[in-house]
Amino acid sequence: MDSWVIAMMLGASIFLGALALFAFLWAIKNGQFDDEEKFLNAAKYDGVDELNDAVNKELKKEKLKKEYRPE
Amino acid sequence: MSDKIKCSHCQLEFNQDVMIKDGDHFFCCNGCQGVYHLLSDQGLESFYQKAGDVKLTPPTQQYEDSSNFNAPAFYERFIKTDQDGFSKVSLIIEGIHCSACVWLNEKALHKMEGVIEANINFTNNKATIVWADDVVKLSEIIDMIRAIGYNAYPYDASLQEAHANKERKEYYLRLAVAIFASMNIMWVAVAQYAGYFTGITQDVKTILNIAEGVLATPVLFYSGWVFFRGAYFGVKSRVVNMDLLVATGATLTYIYSIYITIAQEGEAYFDSVSMIITFVLIGKFLEVLSKKNAADTLDIIGKHIPSEVNILRDQRIVSVKLADVVVGDIVVVSSGEKVLLDGEIIKGSGSFDESNLTGESEAIYKKEGDFVISGTVSIDADIHFKTTKDFEHSTLSNLVTLLESAIHKKPKIEQIANRLSNHFSTAILALSVLTFFVWWLWPHNFETSFMIGISVIIIACPCALALATPVATLVGLSLGAKRGILFKEAAQLETMAKVDTLVLDKTGTLTVGKPQIVDAHTYEDFDRVFLYSMVKGSRHPVAKSLAEYIRSEYENIDEIVFDTFAQLPALGIETHYQGKQYLGGNAKLLERYNITTDFQSENTLFYFAIDGEIVAIYELSDSIKEGAKELISHMAKQGIDVVMLTGDNEQTATKVALTVGIKQFYFEQTPEEKSEFIKKLHENGKTVVMVGDGVNDILALALADIGIVMGSGSDIAIDVSDVVLLNDSLRSLEDAFKISRTTFGLIKQNLGISLVYNAITIPLAMAGYVIPLVAAISMSVSSLLVVGNSMRIRLKWTKS
Repeated sequence: MDSWVIAMMLGASIFLGALALFAFLWAIKNGQFDDEEKFLNAAKYDGVDELNDAVNKELKKEKLKKEYRPE
Repeated sequence: MSDKIKCSHCQLEFNQDVMIKDGDHFFCCNGCQGVYHLLSDQGLESFYQKAGDVKLTPPTQQYEDSSNFNAPAFYERFIKTDQDGFSKVSLIIEGIHCSACVWLNEKALHKMEGVIEANINFTNNKATIVWADDVVKLSEIIDMIRAIGYNAYPYDASLQEAHANKERKEYYLRLAVAIFASMNIMWVAVAQYAGYFTGITQDVKTILNIAEGVLATPVLFYSGWVFFRGAYFGVKSRVVNMDLLVATGATLTYIYSIYITIAQEGEAYFDSVSMIITFVLIGKFLEVLSKKNAADTLDIIGKHIPSEVNILRDQRIVSVKLADVVVGDIVVVSSGEKVLLDGEIIKGSGSFDESNLTGESEAIYKKEGDFVISGTVSIDADIHFKTTKDFEHSTLSNLVTLLESAIHKKPKIEQIANRLSNHFSTAILALSVLTFFVWWLWPHNFETSFMIGISVIIIACPCALALATPVATLVGLSLGAKRGILFKEAAQLETMAKVDTLVLDKTGTLTVGKPQIVDAHTYEDFDRVFLYSMVKGSRHPVAKSLAEYIRSEYENIDEIVFDTFAQLPALGIETHYQGKQYLGGNAKLLERYNITTDFQSENTLFYFAIDGEIVAIYELSDSIKEGAKELISHMAKQGIDVVMLTGDNEQTATKVALTVGIKQFYFEQTPEEKSEFIKKLHENGKTVVMVGDGVNDILALALADIGIVMGSGSDIAIDVSDVVLLNDSLRSLEDAFKISRTTFGLIKQNLGISLVYNAITIPLAMAGYVIPLVAAISMSVSSLLVVGNSMRIRLKWTKS
């Protein structure tokens, strides 16, 4: 077995692992794990209404941003 | 008696005849009815399905005016502006019971025009709200939260708490990287070690080295950054600390390994680099996790002090800010209210709960001419009093100020491992430099001398030394947690092991803290419903324990509504129902109604009479906790001085002290006197554990080397203390001492093991005898020894 096979395997697995790690770090930094209860409740309660609410919230924020210009 | 039905909003059960009927629904009060209709109007009824059977607190209407929240001073202190220019506030929401409550609050706020974001953390009830201030005002937001049956008060998130959270998160990220990389390095290292024994070509070895190097780099420079930072600050303040040794050891090993990889000969040690950083970082992370939060405590105290008081001006009652009250103002206090200023009663009388200051649950009767103290609570007194001090100089304000300074002045015993590592690190660095020069001048070439110099640091690399304390304390902490003892910081185990004086509070610590029924004498059969309904309506501690006692004897006991109900200050209760008179209270009450009795007892007595006939007498007494005597004798055997401090009178104090065997005790102690006592002990060079439970102990708890609080103690006391005994038992207190001593012994043993290991290996390394394999194996063996030794104690404890 040529040693480049080992190099490639190591390289690929470390790269893939690093991707997963970065996704995890990104999630922590975004505060997705700050409230463990809520994190689990989202799975329990989030339905069509909640998703609509989330979209409306974003729209409302954009609208207010346009109308309301604090200095 | 009619059937009980549930209130449609709060789900609490009441008799049908006291409920408000509204269509198909029943409500226990107007508050619940209002909230129910508000939710229906807003289309939020699905809250009740989400909440299920969770019982809510009925909304009360005693809030201060919400327009205060729009005051400029308030905005300046609590409201921040985010990057988009919107206003942002952090609130603590009261009354959250379940995830449906979180849902309801968020939903109701999102429906408001101008509110951009409302995010409530269910775990700690803290909320962040972002809104456009010219569309909606904060007062309207708070009004909405109150309207749906909750309450909110602001806290300053930019204080220490936010800082502690940020630090925790930062460590978490660093640790995630370190663990990920170490796990991957492990399996690469397995290949390498296997290759060492079975044969491996140099180019495969180089590939493995490079892979390990790539993984070790972020561990050293990202995760290990905290050690570089610690080392830098150490050097700056001229202290050679553990961080410096970890940083230099790991960096030199890293550089050496890079050299090996490039030179393509010898063994690289990237696995050691990442393992050392990861293990020591885990220890640090545990400490950061348990760091207590002084800011939170002060938030809670701030909440307990209302900002306004009612004073009498020109024959009218007006609300003024606390700070605006001047000496000589007449303050109006009604029953259930907290007294916020010191003064002399000029009108009215009644009982006061002084437990915040004395720790005693017995109510104190005060009349015209007596002095009221700030921090006490009026149980049934409606009084006017003339202030003798302004708020800034009041007892309550003094307590808060003292506490703030006590939290920051807490003494810390220098930890043995830190002290040792200082000398150890210096010695190792000096030895390695010395070895390098001796070899170089001997003469050998630079390369060999450099390698041998580094090998001294690598072999002495503080793996075992760094692990010695964290592993032992981890074992100690988990042993404690299993027995209901929470140590808030790992270092406290070590401090506690060195304690030579134990200071105990009486009420709630040595005794149960509540008057309990010790005997009941019934002279005539009577319906307990009348007695229960009577005592249920009073806040007096005797009445409260009696209500509890009856409830435990007669499950599902009903309540009735009396035709008249009068609380007579310092006497008891007089009620009427369907023409009959019911009296409940002390002997003085009986005297007033010319009822005679010759019953004698040293306990507190509660008489119950119907139409002038005594039908029952209850004896109440505060009983001593189980295991108190054993604890005191155990402490004496260990050579620890035991002192009891109590706010109670001489007679009671002597009785308790004699029963449990305490020789040294002080009575009628104020919170300040208790803390003075601790200070005096410190001046005499004593290391002190203070055990208490109430608000009156907080100063002493905060000042003591170790403050231990009973889990049932007040929130503030739990916040300022270092150790919490969750099951309130004195046996856990004894265990806490045992665990801390065992752990401390363990730390010393572990340090001994790692020192012996170093004493053998360092001379070998200096002599140039350490081949790579020996270095690798001996490193792991020393760490294993330390971990194994710690586990041994755990096994011993589990068996016993």
